[in-house]
Amino acid sequence: MKIIKIILIVLIYAAAMASSMAQSGLSIRDVHGELSTRSTYQPTNISVEDVRYSGIDFITYSDTVIMRNCATILRNDLDFSPYFAIVLLDSFFLRHMELIEMSMLGWQRLGSEYLVKLDAEFPRNRLRLSYRLFSVAQGREIRRKSFEDYKEAHRYIVHDIANDIVKTLTGDEGIYRTKIAYVREIDKAKEIFMADFDGYGEVQLTNNGSINISPAVSPDGKYIYFTSYMDGEPRLYRLNLKNNDVKQIAGYAGLNAAPAVSPDGEYIACVLSRDGNSEIYLLDKDGKIKRRLTKHPAIDTSPTWSPDGREIAFISDRTGLPQIYAMDNEGLNVRRLTFQGSYNDSPRWSPRGDRIVFVSRQPNFKVCSVDITGKNFQVLTDLGNNENPHYSPDGNHIIFSSNRLGPTELYVMDFLGNNQKRLTMKGGFSNPIWLPLEK
Amino acid sequence: MKKLTILMLLSFVMVFLAGCPKTPPPPPAEEPVVTQPVSQPEPEPEPEPEPVKELIRESAFMKVYFDFDKFNLVDSAKAALANNAKVLRDNPSVIVLIEGHCDERGTVEYNLSLGEKRANAAMTYLKDLGISANRMSIISYGKERPAVLGSNEAAWAKNRRAEFKIVSQ
Repeated sequence: MKIIKIILIVLIYAAAMASSMAQSGLSIRDVHGELSTRSTYQPTNISVEDVRYSGIDFITYSDTVIMRNCATILRNDLDFSPYFAIVLLDSFFLRHMELIEMSMLGWQRLGSEYLVKLDAEFPRNRLRLSYRLFSVAQGREIRRKSFEDYKEAHRYIVHDIANDIVKTLTGDEGIYRTKIAYVREIDKAKEIFMADFDGYGEVQLTNNGSINISPAVSPDGKYIYFTSYMDGEPRLYRLNLKNNDVKQIAGYAGLNAAPAVSPDGEYIACVLSRDGNSEIYLLDKDGKIKRRLTKHPAIDTSPTWSPDGREIAFISDRTGLPQIYAMDNEGLNVRRLTFQGSYNDSPRWSPRGDRIVFVSRQPNFKVCSVDITGKNFQVLTDLGNNENPHYSPDGNHIIFSSNRLGPTELYVMDFLGNNQKRLTMKGGFSNPIWLPLEK
Repeated sequence: MKKLTILMLLSFVMVFLAGCPKTPPPPPAEEPVVTQPVSQPEPEPEPEPEPVKELIRESAFMKVYFDFDKFNLVDSAKAALANNAKVLRDNPSVIVLIEGHCDERGTVEYNLSLGEKRANAAMTYLKDLGISANRMSIISYGKERPAVLGSNEAAWAKNRRAEFKIVSQ
């Protein structure tokens, strides 16, 4: 009887697996209308068990809420990485295997390759979260580490654990403690804000009731350069993230716009129209003109540096409509990079140096990417108008704004356009940038 | 004796009453009298109505509209600018700021440059019509200050514009 039952369960389970695999082979549109089967890489399956309390004292209800949150945040963090796919506990599976608690063998049967176990303690009203990482196939522990902080900082404790797991399994630095900055429309004003990579912990950086746009971050992550109308005309300012001190650095006649800081932090490529037309200039970090890089009656704007600092990609409408070009940092050796689509704008060089992401009008604005020779054109988004794509510091993700659901919100996806996820939900978000890894 | 003391008291009171309030109130009473005649003969009230007659409203200037991603002046734009040139000629003391605006499509940065080209095109045309360059200046707001909200051709057409703002007159 029992044998029949087991066979039955195995059959049902195999059927379920087959159907789910068949489904993932189809082009299923997710809630945001994106193709969810575009991946060309195979993520590693990983599971995170619920947090166990390993202390001896009584704990409060709010402590149990923190414990539940921690497991959820870690699952979201790992699932966000293109390296990992989260395998969740399947209650159907558990019941029919007549298991009370998931074992290593159980996780293996569910397809997990790695397993994370979490233990929480609350010493002196703080949270100490310890994690143990197991290789499920080998059935052995690979790594364990504890992190401790105020309870209120539990999101950051979990982000630290996620960074540690990514570092252990891939060798890469995780991006879970990085920040993003962006522009938010508030009444008639546009102000610059900063938040965690997942949209939590928002702080307002400017508050002058004017238009503040085009934030750019210095490579050390300490300063935000931006264009503002706070003194009437569009000028370039620098904001110190340590004390929110704002200083005007360029106030030439006309536009002072589209700043991009060089990888060594010494120069700012930006647009000045002091000659009556938008040209790209190189300024030193205090705003003094070092060199004029473009000289063309057409619009030249939106500079972005290659990670080695040797080249600058930019847009120009010298052929009629905006297209993406690259030049060296002397303004020479100009070459055109985009030939697909009549209107290409908003370029950003990837931190790995191999690709440029941009927006192409066809006829709605789509995020696309191309390699630095202008080949291997890829379309990464489908619906809505998508703008201002910007890579994460590890090059694995792209943040951008989109009006696909109506209001303009911030979205993230991986570098191939998979896992498109909305970060905001109030509307009026634009101009996102991803800040560098904290050193 | 009683009469004398009463008289003396009365005189004291009278002196007191007369002396004390006398010195402070008259000056305030007199001063406005003095200042009013001084201010009245001033010739200001008469010139005031005159500027009121001369004052023009910003609505006297027509908005100049452009095609998508273009800053060249179409015929309707030239007609609007001819009207604006006439307003400027009729009001020779007026100084204007020409704002360049764009619709929401395209990036912030590209539209800032495009808005500037639109404002510049309008200013250049007015110069050609004989308006002195030092009566005009330009600013670009890119797509940051739409006239109309909405993501359709009707809204976009109204947002691709050059607007005239009076700086002084």
